[in-house]
Amino acid sequence: MSQNHRYVGRSLPRLDGPAKVTGRARYAGDLSLPGMLHGKLLRSPVPHARIVNIDVSRAAALPGVKAVITGRDTPGIKYGNWRLMPETQDETPLAIDKVRFIGDEVAAVAALDLDTAEEAVRLIRVEYEELPAVFDVAAALADGAPLVHDEGKLTSNVSLDRKIDYGDLDAAFAAADYVREDRFTLPPVSHAYLEPCACLAEADLEGRITIWTSTQTPYIVQCLLASTLGLRENDVRVVKPFVGGGFGGKMELRPWEFCAAFLARKTGRPVRFALTREEELATGRRRHPMRIRSKVAFRKDGTLLGKEFEVYLDGGAYNSMGPTATFLCGNFGAMLYRYPAYRYRGYHVYTNNPPAGAMRGFGAPQALFAAESQMNIAAAELGIDPIELRLKNAMVEGDEIPGVATVSSCGFVESLEQVAAMTGWKEKKGKLPPGQGIGVGCYSFISGGVFNWFNTQYEFAAVEVEAYDDGTLHLKTMASDIGQGCDTVLRQILAEETGVSIERIRLTAGDTGATPKADLGTWGSRVTLMAGNAVINAVRSIKDQLAGVIAARFDLNVIHEVAFADDRVFAKARPDRGLSFGEAVRMATRANRGRALVGRAGYTPRNKGLVTPAFSFGAQVAEVRVDVETGVVRVEKVTTAHDCGTVVNPMAVEGQLEGSIHMGLGYALCEELKMEGGRTLTSSLLDYKIAAAEDMPPSESICVPTFEAEGPFGAKEAGEGLASPTAPAIADAVHDATGFRAFDLPITPEKILRGMGRLDE
Amino acid sequence: MPKVAITLRVNGDLHEVMVAPHRTLDEVLRDELGLIGTKVGCRTGDCGACTVLLDGKAVSSCLTLAVEAAGREILTIEGLAPGGEELHPLQRAFVEHGAVQCGYCTPGMILAARHLLDKNPTPTHEEIRRALSGNLCRCTGYAKIVDAIAAVAEKNRS
Amino acid sequence: MALPRFEYLSPGTLDEACALLAEHGADARPMAGGTDLLLRMGRTGRAPSFVVGLRRVPGLADVRFDREHGLSIGALASLATVAAHPDVIRHYPALAQAAAATATVQIRNMGTVAGNLCNASPSADTAPPLLAHGAEVLLHRREGERRLSLSRFFRGPGRNALEPGELLREIHLPPPGERTGSDYQRISQRSQVDIAAASVAARVALDEEGICRSARLALGAVAPTPLLVDEAAALLEGRPITDEQVAAAAALAVRAARPISDVRASAAWRKKVIGVLAARALRAAVEKALAQ
Repeated sequence: MSQNHRYVGRSLPRLDGPAKVTGRARYAGDLSLPGMLHGKLLRSPVPHARIVNIDVSRAAALPGVKAVITGRDTPGIKYGNWRLMPETQDETPLAIDKVRFIGDEVAAVAALDLDTAEEAVRLIRVEYEELPAVFDVAAALADGAPLVHDEGKLTSNVSLDRKIDYGDLDAAFAAADYVREDRFTLPPVSHAYLEPCACLAEADLEGRITIWTSTQTPYIVQCLLASTLGLRENDVRVVKPFVGGGFGGKMELRPWEFCAAFLARKTGRPVRFALTREEELATGRRRHPMRIRSKVAFRKDGTLLGKEFEVYLDGGAYNSMGPTATFLCGNFGAMLYRYPAYRYRGYHVYTNNPPAGAMRGFGAPQALFAAESQMNIAAAELGIDPIELRLKNAMVEGDEIPGVATVSSCGFVESLEQVAAMTGWKEKKGKLPPGQGIGVGCYSFISGGVFNWFNTQYEFAAVEVEAYDDGTLHLKTMASDIGQGCDTVLRQILAEETGVSIERIRLTAGDTGATPKADLGTWGSRVTLMAGNAVINAVRSIKDQLAGVIAARFDLNVIHEVAFADDRVFAKARPDRGLSFGEAVRMATRANRGRALVGRAGYTPRNKGLVTPAFSFGAQVAEVRVDVETGVVRVEKVTTAHDCGTVVNPMAVEGQLEGSIHMGLGYALCEELKMEGGRTLTSSLLDYKIAAAEDMPPSESICVPTFEAEGPFGAKEAGEGLASPTAPAIADAVHDATGFRAFDLPITPEKILRGMGRLDE
Repeated sequence: MPKVAITLRVNGDLHEVMVAPHRTLDEVLRDELGLIGTKVGCRTGDCGACTVLLDGKAVSSCLTLAVEAAGREILTIEGLAPGGEELHPLQRAFVEHGAVQCGYCTPGMILAARHLLDKNPTPTHEEIRRALSGNLCRCTGYAKIVDAIAAVAEKNRS
Repeated sequence: MALPRFEYLSPGTLDEACALLAEHGADARPMAGGTDLLLRMGRTGRAPSFVVGLRRVPGLADVRFDREHGLSIGALASLATVAAHPDVIRHYPALAQAAAATATVQIRNMGTVAGNLCNASPSADTAPPLLAHGAEVLLHRREGERRLSLSRFFRGPGRNALEPGELLREIHLPPPGERTGSDYQRISQRSQVDIAAASVAARVALDEEGICRSARLALGAVAPTPLLVDEAAALLEGRPITDEQVAAAAALAVRAARPISDVRASAAWRKKVIGVLAARALRAAVEKALAQ
């Protein structure tokens, strides 16, 4: 990392901080327009049924109700994020003839106020013919199981599968000294972002839509909203206001967005929908529950020979982002270590549960809980220290994952070494008194995907920069800050690249009507690398022109390098020969006969394999104390060493890490959407428990220095991969403390006591 | 049910509003007075995003009837630093310490912190964590929030 | 979800409040802090026709203590007030612990101890220490007032002994004795901030030789109502409290518990930990008694 950077590498407080601490930041549910109506959805109370009849007459007759719609009133066009495989697009905004989960959207109301809308929803009478339903993978795959989707070509509830094969796995198992097979079960958990989803839509007199919505993917919403409404893409403008967290849960078109837009056109008035927390938890997207079987082969010296990894994903009633999770699980199952042979089988299974979708880590938290737990088990049985075993097999720069990618920058070995040193690992592991334990978990993650499942025609990220003669810049991008801080980071990158002070950079972001096409949104840890690269690419032409201005003005020899720093443009070797940035822009604009100085470019990863342009790596150690009489676990410390390339904003990266630990700790110990017959029992934040401040352990961390050639200033992913290591690390520490090894999450006190033989049934 | 006329004293300003008895304080602050800094995260008193100070005490405005708040002193995030661009020390500390990510929990979090510091100007880290029991955050893991409040407490100490 | 509609009545005296409750019967509910009542309305979508707010009734928020009469907690005294009250902390420590452990800062600022009892949740934090301290409730109606021991106030989950037109005006605890200690232990599987999955309050009074003069052990969240384990008291009284005595009393607590399984914990685990908590609470109560 260069010491000369003025912005990159600095812990700059986020630039939207003042708006947020004063309550001036407006989120979708805070917005209103004159004449606005309030929308409310009617959801299915049954998990699987044919809709025989819907009677909306009493609802429509209620004073104050302006419109009631059912699926039959809509174009009924199917949608889904996987446009590349249209057969996976299996949702309609409102159910047409069948409901498939408790919460499936059936009808929508727009009324003068929320009380009236809620009352109207209660007055809609739906006649259901209930169908047999399936609530787990085993039932869904049983002979004669009812088909969740019987309308297409599918003959089973497996909506899609994915295979990966390389190396000679049978030979690996035959040659192995040690083979270990385990089964793991992962529960559904919720994003539990603090801001429940909301949106506000209005239609102009030509029928064009503007929608402000709580989304992490404005472009995806624009495209899919247009297609489901039967409009042209350019007739839909999506604006992302401040967004109160997403974590993958806000990256699709959602029924309320469609209904708000449809009802706005129908009534001629703005329509706002705001979900309740109960709707979010009981019917919203969740992390995929999975069943994983993993079989791994080692030589007795600890050398990995191969792995077989089989995953069944409970996708719920629709595909949602399940295809990507099925795909990525297979990749994450083979990350971190060198597997000469690997076989993956992944099956995405429909059930009558609420659909699962993308959630922070996206297949990695599940796959790595299994893989890392198994690594710890194997280490114990091979009699090798778990960190030593990892070091022996760790991926390094230049390693090839056959058919998938080549590992570019890689600080995994350093991460393992550092985390061991920071925690005094060798003195502690296996040597702590009963009830105390230490454990390790590791991760690798992608810096954005290269697989174009959305089938966009545009670049993956795009940026426009305009330079003005007052020495300011205007940065326009569809990239979406949902709390992770990219509005600040992208301005840091632009400021570093141009030498223009960051406070002189104005930003317009996440508005499909005002920013260049396209940006696929905030997911897969893609924004810093992809939009960051787009920023650098976009400003290149501006810098070229300004360099030309300086060269001409000061008659510079062609070999001079022109520098951009401190709001000036100047000959690097003769800093006195230069102009302020604004003056240089003025001269360039004059030279261009008034044409504005605009740079516009994008970034699309090309020739980067199938998964990602760059992988992050890291290792984490958890230390716990278990009350062996009650089974209650107290996590006492979490220590992390990770490789995210050049750290653009250390404070933001730390914040991502600490938030990841929160989510990982919850996944390990206390979070679970409890289900019964397709119904989510934990539908409040009292029953669905996320950790409070008192539950959180202190965290210590370092970033190991690497430089990612493909990333802006050497940066790559930070913050999403970190969602994975905490659960296996805590599980390993609990094992160290109690002898109980968890194969399913969450690791509740009663599981621990039962595992210790201390709970009589 | 007929609406009743009440006077709410919010951030020092008097507002006369007509409210139905079943309206909660968060609804009236947001919908009638336009004070959208008070956030709605659950409406069951679990998340703390709607925290306001009522007669100096942190309460969940989603579980407070507006009619019961009439005549009492209400402080919302908008009233914490009344003077234009100047930030309250807690607000400044939250920005500078990276205690803000998505920002949705932030107003409630800051008001809960203000309630703590009013009672105890120099709390320990442990006391700070306990004082945030009613405020959930999904982004930060609370670490930098605790740091920010501790930094203000540290200034109070000196 | 918006709250369902209701009419709000705001009586100025206790008798006026009781008159309104008597007049409207099942159509009216009294409201102190509102944290339970409004929450339930939002969740079920059902409201009584009338909510009788008690805020304007004077004197109900008081907490009074003297060595002769003991502790009086008015119907509007908040959980936060009780938790922070120096006399409660000193003389009824289990109650202070329980009030401080209930829900969150915000809920404690709004919710009342009396409301916590009237809600009659089996897991109400303040119920076990109040039972252990021998609390009585003063139930007021226009015709007069009756006193009821708290153990007879709870009738089942969500059900209490209040009759139509009757209000819980005050909770009364007898004066603390010499060498008396109490302690409250609670547990959640998931978080420091959670409804208790099981809880225990213990109070012991010792004589100068360390013989147990009186003992009480009360359980929460493991039966349809908060529960006094009389057998444990009988076992402990009249003897020194040894480790064996503690273990035996804890075993009686386990035997008395009749827990259910729900989203927070299984019955089996609740039964297991109630014994652990009982032993811890008893030991801590003895320590506090000895420290006096």
